[in-house]
Amino acid sequence: MKAARLLLALALLNAAAPVRAQAPENAVKAAFLPRFARYVTWPTPPAAGAPFQLCVVGHDPFGPMLDRAASSELIDGHNVAVRRMNTADRAAGCQLAFVAGASPQDTTRLLLALRSQAILTITDARAGPQRGMIHFTIVAGRVRFFIDDAEAAGRGLSISSRLLALAAGVRARR
Amino acid sequence: MRRLPKLPTRWINAPAAIILIVALLVLAGVGIILQNEAAYRDLQEQETRAQADILAAGLTAALDFRDAEAAQEAVDAVRVNRQVRALGVYNDGGALVARYGRDGAAPPGRYAEPFPAPGDVISAIVPVISRGERIGTVYLAADPEPLSRRFTRYFIIFSLVLMAALVVAVLGIAQNALRRANRELEERAEALVNANAELKVQVTERTKAEDQLRQAQKMQALGQLTGGIAHDFNNLLTVIQGSADMLRRAALDDAKRVRFAEAIVQAASRAAALTGQLLAFARRQPLRPEIIDVNELIGGMTDLLDRTLGERIEVRTIISTEACSVEADRAQLESALLNIAVNARDAMAEGGLLTIRTAIFDEPQARRMIALSVSDSGTGMDEDTLDRAFEPFFTTKATGKGTGLGLSQVYGFASQSGGDVRIDSTPGAGTTVTLLLPCNGGGGDGGAKREAESYGGIEQRRAGRILLVEDNEEVGEFAESLLGELGHKVFRTRSGEAALEAALDSVYDAVFTDVVMPGMSGLELAEHLAELRPNLPVILTTGYSDEIARSGAGGRPVILKPYRLETLAAAIDEVLRVDGK
Repeated sequence: MKAARLLLALALLNAAAPVRAQAPENAVKAAFLPRFARYVTWPTPPAAGAPFQLCVVGHDPFGPMLDRAASSELIDGHNVAVRRMNTADRAAGCQLAFVAGASPQDTTRLLLALRSQAILTITDARAGPQRGMIHFTIVAGRVRFFIDDAEAAGRGLSISSRLLALAAGVRARR
Repeated sequence: MRRLPKLPTRWINAPAAIILIVALLVLAGVGIILQNEAAYRDLQEQETRAQADILAAGLTAALDFRDAEAAQEAVDAVRVNRQVRALGVYNDGGALVARYGRDGAAPPGRYAEPFPAPGDVISAIVPVISRGERIGTVYLAADPEPLSRRFTRYFIIFSLVLMAALVVAVLGIAQNALRRANRELEERAEALVNANAELKVQVTERTKAEDQLRQAQKMQALGQLTGGIAHDFNNLLTVIQGSADMLRRAALDDAKRVRFAEAIVQAASRAAALTGQLLAFARRQPLRPEIIDVNELIGGMTDLLDRTLGERIEVRTIISTEACSVEADRAQLESALLNIAVNARDAMAEGGLLTIRTAIFDEPQARRMIALSVSDSGTGMDEDTLDRAFEPFFTTKATGKGTGLGLSQVYGFASQSGGDVRIDSTPGAGTTVTLLLPCNGGGGDGGAKREAESYGGIEQRRAGRILLVEDNEEVGEFAESLLGELGHKVFRTRSGEAALEAALDSVYDAVFTDVVMPGMSGLELAEHLAELRPNLPVILTTGYSDEIARSGAGGRPVILKPYRLETLAAAIDEVLRVDGK
């Protein structure tokens, strides 16, 4: 009885731990997302006065945290606007897109749909192994990311070397 | 000599200018070092800031994405710069993200305005800006350059300044030393001037003392001379007076009368010779130069010398055939020779050999001369005696034996004739006296001619009217009787003025006047007569006259007292004969 209670407590602890860790993790990721815009150059930057458009395609794990992070960001006089959508159809005009499908297959499908446009795609390892141009991961309890510079170059995007230097891994452009 | 004033030996302060220059140099050096230091510090600050800037630029992404590891890597890269002491990277919240500290130093744990930086470091605080937004801060503290390195850098400037200062100081010291030496020199010169003045005073005093001494010696010598002459003259006067007394006696045969008269004449002529010597020494004897063949003169004197020197002395003559004739006063030359010979005799009391030698004396610079030397084998002279040999009145003979005028006469005669006298003597080995006389260029005929003329004059004797001028009663009476004896008509006056009056009043054939008289002298009278009666011949007579010795007789005949009858007759006859022509 006593042992069962202890096991239950341990199980509860174990179950609670990822939830508690995930909340600041998502906050960090939400803070990171608009900032990527600082280190990326698009073939067609947003018009003067128009904001950078940060689109969340599919599932949104951040909620208002992302809105707060975006609203505090001002990049070369451009604000950052957050748009949420379930499909890739309305992605035109987006500069950045966090892609998280309901399933890995769904994610792959969404990424493919976005490939025709110059959009910096961002994925999260927690959502599945499918990788966009930037792929969040956790290394030693810290939020890190991989960068697929080759894919970005293919879309006409240029990622700053300073950002590349921070990446946990880079697929270099050819 | 006055002692020199003691000079200050301690270091005399360098002039203010040098101190000023040295001070300026040092100041300039310090200024340069300080300026350099400030500039270098500025530079270092700039460098530190630049390094912080570079770091900040590289840290934007790391801070953006809170990548402490990446930030630490960037910070670690700065380690290579050994001057960086502490380095801190703070995020936008002021928390320390990355750090570096050398030798225990560490950046402050948090960043907050105002941020205090330690004073002994060069620090830079640079914001990390990403896309216009401040996302963090970099704090970099660098050590200033170590003192030793700075010293090394400034050592060159320092040594240059030091050297310049040293050079200036050395120059200053040198100049100072020079100035001091100068002053010393001036003081010495002044001392010298003083010493010189003192010396002058001493010289003057000494000259005065010497003058006094000389005067005393002169008086002493004069006394000696006077004594000697008085002695000689008394002897002669004894003979004259005695003879004259004898002549007064009525009962005296003719032979005796002649002998006494002869004694008087001899004594008088010896007295005349004595006064002649005195005057010759005084070089106031008017010389009557004639051309003399010296060899002949010596030949003519050997008999006299033999007699004078006595039997114990052998006289030898060595005659040079080249010997030239000289123009000199015959009587004086004979007298000189005799004087030397007598001295030689006195030096050879035991008898000996006297050698008279003639030779041509040719010296490169001198004119051609004849050397007439007389050597004896007597006692010789020591150096002191030799030094004083020509000194008037100096004699080694006993009082009354010599006048001390012998060699003086020789010397006076030789120099008056343009020659010289030399004495070589060694004690115990005899003495050689050499008389140097200039050769006569013309030859030996002149004397003979003159003699012939005078002889011719005597034969043409005629009587005339003679104006006699003589202030001395005895001499005047004597002259009057002499002239009367010669057959002349004599008119006697006692002064020059009276004579001049008489000469204007009546006609005379000749004037015979004494030179030294009170009032108008004989020479003045002659001058006046030369103007008023140019054709009236004047014969002068004197025992000694300064005026004649000084300026001569103006071509007029001079008869020296004491004169003999023949001399007077010849002179009167001569002027009357010339006048009569």
